[in-house]
Amino acid sequence: MTSWLFFFLLLALLAAPRVGLYALWQARRAERAREQVEDALKYLLDHEQAGLHVTTAALAGALRLSPARAARLADRMAAQGLLEFRGPALHLTPDGERWAMDVLRAHRLWERYLADEARMPLEKIHREAHRREHTLTAEQLDALDAALGYPQFDPHGDPIPRPGRPPAERGQPATSWPPDTAGRIIHLEDEPPLAYQQILAAGLQLGQIVRVLERTPERLVLSDGQNEYRLAPAVAANIFLAPAHDARPLPAGVQPLHLLPHGQPAEIVAIDERIQGFTRRRFLDLGLTPGTRIVPALENFFREPRAYRVRGTLIALRNDQAAHILVRPLNAEEASDE
Amino acid sequence: MTQAEQILKKADRLRRELPRNFRDEMVQSLYDEAERIARRAVQEREGRSYDLDQKIDRIVTSPIFGLPIMLLLLALVIWITVIGANYPSEWLANGLFWFENQAATLFERWGAPWWLTGFLWHGVYRGLAWVVSVMLPPMAIFFPLFTFLEDLGYLPRVAFNMDWLFKKAGAHGKQSLTMAMGFGCNAAGVVATRIIDSPRERLIAILTNNFVPCNGRFPTLIMLGTIFVAANFPPALTSFVAAGSVVAIVMIGVFFTLLISWLLSRTVLKGEASAFTLELPPYRRPNLGRILYTSLIDRTIFVLWRAITTAAPAGAVIWLLANISVGGVSLAQHIAGFLDPLGWLIGLDGVILLAYIIAIPANEIVVPTMLMVYLGTGMMIDLPWDQLGVILVEQHGWTLLTAINLMLFALLHNPCATTILTIYKETGSKKWATFSVVITLGTAFLVTFLTASLARAFGWV
Amino acid sequence: MNDHCATCAAFNQLEQMGLTLDDFDRVVALAGNPNTGKSTLFNALTGLKQHTGNWPGKTVTRAEGGFEFNGVRYKLVDLPGTYSLLSASQDEEVARDFILFGQPDCVIVVTDATALERNLNLVLQVLEITDKVVVAVNMMDEARRKGLDVDPRALARDLGVPAVPISARTGEGLSALLRTMAEVIEGQIRTQPRRVHGTPAFQRAVAELAAEIEAAIPGIPNARWVAIRLLDGDERVRQALLNDEFPQLIARQRQADVRFSNKISLEGRQ
Repeated sequence: MTSWLFFFLLLALLAAPRVGLYALWQARRAERAREQVEDALKYLLDHEQAGLHVTTAALAGALRLSPARAARLADRMAAQGLLEFRGPALHLTPDGERWAMDVLRAHRLWERYLADEARMPLEKIHREAHRREHTLTAEQLDALDAALGYPQFDPHGDPIPRPGRPPAERGQPATSWPPDTAGRIIHLEDEPPLAYQQILAAGLQLGQIVRVLERTPERLVLSDGQNEYRLAPAVAANIFLAPAHDARPLPAGVQPLHLLPHGQPAEIVAIDERIQGFTRRRFLDLGLTPGTRIVPALENFFREPRAYRVRGTLIALRNDQAAHILVRPLNAEEASDE
Repeated sequence: MTQAEQILKKADRLRRELPRNFRDEMVQSLYDEAERIARRAVQEREGRSYDLDQKIDRIVTSPIFGLPIMLLLLALVIWITVIGANYPSEWLANGLFWFENQAATLFERWGAPWWLTGFLWHGVYRGLAWVVSVMLPPMAIFFPLFTFLEDLGYLPRVAFNMDWLFKKAGAHGKQSLTMAMGFGCNAAGVVATRIIDSPRERLIAILTNNFVPCNGRFPTLIMLGTIFVAANFPPALTSFVAAGSVVAIVMIGVFFTLLISWLLSRTVLKGEASAFTLELPPYRRPNLGRILYTSLIDRTIFVLWRAITTAAPAGAVIWLLANISVGGVSLAQHIAGFLDPLGWLIGLDGVILLAYIIAIPANEIVVPTMLMVYLGTGMMIDLPWDQLGVILVEQHGWTLLTAINLMLFALLHNPCATTILTIYKETGSKKWATFSVVITLGTAFLVTFLTASLARAFGWV
Repeated sequence: MNDHCATCAAFNQLEQMGLTLDDFDRVVALAGNPNTGKSTLFNALTGLKQHTGNWPGKTVTRAEGGFEFNGVRYKLVDLPGTYSLLSASQDEEVARDFILFGQPDCVIVVTDATALERNLNLVLQVLEITDKVVVAVNMMDEARRKGLDVDPRALARDLGVPAVPISARTGEGLSALLRTMAEVIEGQIRTQPRRVHGTPAFQRAVAELAAEIEAAIPGIPNARWVAIRLLDGDERVRQALLNDEFPQLIARQRQADVRFSNKISLEGRQ
């Protein structure tokens, strides 16, 4: 009697629809399969856009699959009408390309979300977005896009593709940028992560206007008018520039708000371009618009957050927030102006 | 394509043609206009007395005085609450229990069956009376004090002072205020998390609020600190050690709040939306009438009502468990015996666990329920502290470990029914309500198991 | 309460009705930045006791109460305090949705006289949505204490809607506020709200889109605002457009007007 009961319980545990172990395992397998297909699509799209050919062997290497499994995956995708073989090379069909664009869109939207709404550090968002990009249905993706306010670029400066629109240019790597021409950083490649971290650590940001001062095989020197950034060419190749038409170089003496000395009045010059979405909105809604006067008014035991007097109110900002607000300290004459 | 879709399509096209920072420009032009209009409408008089707020702010947020002032105020509020509530609690208890005896006597005189009198008066009514007398006075003192600080505008300054610590734990500085509110009542603390406008930080504050001991748990902590921990020290030090042990427990609660907040923000809640805004409003002169109204009607009565609706059924269940016997032993004893091994594992015993299970509706009745089962009485009872210590140690084998682990368990265990219900209402999700129970109970079992194992391994007990 | 004002005319005409909301003639919304004394004003008018902590974000959901003034019954809706109506935070959505879809007969925007510049940002945004607006300049006493002279007439002239100085805590100026509100509702005061235009490129885009919206939904009162919101990528407005909610809104507004004027003629009030 007891053993029968036990047996049925075990059976239920294994075979129950939706929550049983077998059902869970099945669902996980389907998820894995989708991830594999989508990763393959993304890889193909990336290389096709760069004008490169992909072989099954290269796909195997990129997805960390055995050659046999990679071949099976390619066959399966070909049968689904996502890709076609041209000799040894794999090519996306229009269907495959459309799906690949959707994955790319999901990835970049998630990066936008994680950077703006969840305020995750930039160097961490790629992995988390990669984990999430395979989970959405088309409707959920549209909803995410709408909730983020239809952003045009991801936090690395890559355009977010939308149905029926080709993705925009990605710019020119800093290594081939003409010397002494102002260029706006429009993209920071986040692969490989090591190079990306070095770029961030050097203090270079999206939207910054820079010039190439010096280029030798050993190093590349960039300048934004105040600071010089020395980078290995291999690292600098991950910085992409576009002509800076509307570029006004930042006035001299501009510094991030969190470094402004206590009690020193200043004028807001800009909000960091990398800050988009809800966080940027919030800053603007609080009246932190360019041209506004701001004074660090209160400092507590931990020195963080600091409270700033702006437009007649005291607003506390953490240092990581204040770091995104660029200000120009006012001299005594300007400060007593009003 | 419908007309609406055409319009949307056009909007999408126009949006793409606008410069990428057109939203910035939009807000900026609004503020520019606001600035122009304000400049025309407002004249500043010479020598304005603008500075009082600033002077106060410089003191209460100062690197040197900010934190001490805050701690002093918190200690003062808790001290006034604990001391001030003692006598009213006693009077209330005397009155309510006197009424219980009168009513029970009356029932007997009318020839009502013993179980009816017992169930109604020694069960349901007694549970109610207990909760009301323990809970009402502290809340009626604590909430007005808290509301006073709130209306004054001091509380945002506390959040400002503490934010750095909470930031490190992935939480919001305003959580310090919902915690302070939790000293009064965790359910009220959970409601207070509405002031946190960021979804992730608000969930963290909701899920960890229970690690702050509320008014219902303070008496237990004080009792244990006094008769067990302090008893091991010379009499001259007793009151210091007792107070010290309660403070230590509160500190442990704060530590666990930060620890669990940190864990939550890095695991379950990773990638939830998050924002930080904190405005420090000008100080305002509080309106005393409104404070009393808000704190007494909105908060105290609200919390009391919820507690009453859960305490009455709990009283009934407790009475039934104590008075229904199977094989000559009460149900309560049976269950306690069953729970004993688990209790031993975490340095407690079956009776204590049973008391915690049936006292989920209201923490105030844990100790009386425990005594009821230990002494085999048919109803919840209380004893003077000196007798209590003797009975627990000599007849029921309590040790210092039992007392310390009970303090830890009282601090960390699951929220009371009222709080769980409030969490459900505030988050609108059964998942988070369940989760709040799982993490607190999990922490409580883990920590007490560790202390018990350590104490036994080192041969301290 | 308000003993000190028992003699002023308004309080003879004002009757607080608390929670009696079943039968009202007009709907009035209270908007404003956090911490500007909105809830205090709400309590003073309705006789209710909404909690008013000195603390932004107290009113999370909207609170409703009633009052009667000069024989007209008003339902007063206290919206969450917000700095703006543009972001997607929950509070702002609640406030924005009510002003647009709740179709109040009048919006009273409560502003803090001591931080007018910040508060006007919200006022200008409300003016984009509706022209039935009265600005209540609250905390006039505090402004005086801080050495600020606030000129409500200059404010009214620049905003194009009436601005009434009040002090919600003492009850100062409430009668004038209510009178002005009634006059705006009945059309005795014609408002010409100030609209902010932005950059030329933006203006062109808004005008182009607004024209199309007006053509598609005849009689829509705030096509310009809808256009701005669509350009901004506002999901709620987008949905409203797709679900044909705007024509319904216009129809409902007309009905309410007709119903009220019928009632007045029946009861012989002017």
